[in-house]
Amino acid sequence: MQALIQQVISGIASGGIFASLALALVLIYNAMGLVNFAQGEMAMFATFIAFTLIDRGLSYWIAFPVTLVIAFAGGVLIQRVVIRPVERAPVLTLVIITLGMATLINGLAGFIWGYVPRSIPSPFSVGTYSVLGAVVSYQDIGVIAISAVVLLLIYLLLQRTTIGLTMRAAAHHPEASRLLGVRVSWMLALGWGLAAAVGAVSGIMVAPVLFLEPNMMQAIIVYAFAAAVLGGIESPLGAVVGGVIVGVTVNLAGALPFVGGDLELAVALAIIIAVLLVRPNGLFGRPSVRRV
Amino acid sequence: MAALLELEEVRAGYGQTSVLHGVSMSVEEGQIVSLLGANGAGKTTTLRSVTGGVHWSGDIRFSGRSLKRLSTEDVVRCGIAHVPEGRGILTELTVDENLRLGAYLRKDGGHVRKDYDRVFEYFPVLHERRRLSASTLSGGEQQMLAVARALLMRPRLMLLDEPSLGLAPIVVRAIFEIIRTINQADGVSIFLVEQNARLALEISSQAYVLEVGRVAVSGASSDLMGKESVRRSYLGY
Repeated sequence: MQALIQQVISGIASGGIFASLALALVLIYNAMGLVNFAQGEMAMFATFIAFTLIDRGLSYWIAFPVTLVIAFAGGVLIQRVVIRPVERAPVLTLVIITLGMATLINGLAGFIWGYVPRSIPSPFSVGTYSVLGAVVSYQDIGVIAISAVVLLLIYLLLQRTTIGLTMRAAAHHPEASRLLGVRVSWMLALGWGLAAAVGAVSGIMVAPVLFLEPNMMQAIIVYAFAAAVLGGIESPLGAVVGGVIVGVTVNLAGALPFVGGDLELAVALAIIIAVLLVRPNGLFGRPSVRRV
Repeated sequence: MAALLELEEVRAGYGQTSVLHGVSMSVEEGQIVSLLGANGAGKTTTLRSVTGGVHWSGDIRFSGRSLKRLSTEDVVRCGIAHVPEGRGILTELTVDENLRLGAYLRKDGGHVRKDYDRVFEYFPVLHERRRLSASTLSGGEQQMLAVARALLMRPRLMLLDEPSLGLAPIVVRAIFEIIRTINQADGVSIFLVEQNARLALEISSQAYVLEVGRVAVSGASSDLMGKESVRRSYLGY
């Protein structure tokens, strides 16, 4: 029982990391109708920036928000420079462009920082805390807390502020929003900035667990895709719920003696495929019915 | 005195297909002007030209200022509210969020609140449904929402594209009653595209009739109503 609680809590912690990256995917999916294949690499690059700042002597808690601001600016810049000119291009063109960006950013990170994995210190002290008799690390508790705060802030921004309202309007109904005076193109750029920042959160949080190197996010992005699709790709709430489900499932699967670390990804994806067979639009997605 | 909205020799179209072949029209401040014509005559394209939804040449001036090369957002911010064909309801959002988007650019908070009260007075059903998704509204309610939202923009000019389309006669009458009130009480000038010619001529003071992208007839609405050719083609008696 204690072992179970322990696995679930550490699953929720990984879930928070997947949820952040999945939310980034959803934000951009809503803005351009396509997942951004470079999302993981953008998060990795931001993590390197955070690492560099810490390396230069900045404290973790200053480097963290500074990195988010840089990531935000980077996201806006990518939308303005790379995505906007091809906004009306066929979907396949956009797929190739985001895949190309992923390769480019990956190579750039390797060029600047090299491929030697670096261990990143955790901002949370080493130690454990006892929850219902189960041993939970401060690292896990910290990750859960930060994810929760970030996701809550994004929720409040989108649902409770005027700028969030115009962002949602622009993403879902660009033409009608223009007629209300919404600067749609800039709202989409803000969406990219927000996605880049929230994705960076996942990278920074996962770095102390994994080792920081240019390919760090490549496993995480698969989980994030799974989480986003499970939640229903258009739904921010779905991304969060999907992230937690994927995190817990993977953790529990990994703890099973006959599955182990090698098969945990396979088991998690099998469960997700099973869910999608029953609900093809994901847990929070709506069936895509078009009036003709 | 210069008109509030002036179209001068406007040509517009979609890709290779040209729809408007040089139309000139004007809407004076405080007027209701209706734009009539058969399907495909270019009525919707005329309105879309004003708010930059289609490429056009010639000149369009609003309150003396040329709208050439302005983006849709900037035209709207000049004080033109466009209720488009299909109503432009944001079905992903709630009724209240749709209304908030109408007023979000305004800085006069106190007046906005008063306008909300008035809008709900005009359309009580929107008040009842304000927390619901706009996608749950019926066609008539969506049209009310579109007009209400346009009113909250506090425009100087409202472009209405077939507000009667697909609605029950009683709903149409209610909406036209409110269009008249908006014009008289709120002083909003209105450029009205309408299939229901009789209704449009009754409510407007000036009218234009489009035929395949050209102005065929224009003049005071009361004169047009008496004109044999207009009567036969558009009023059916």
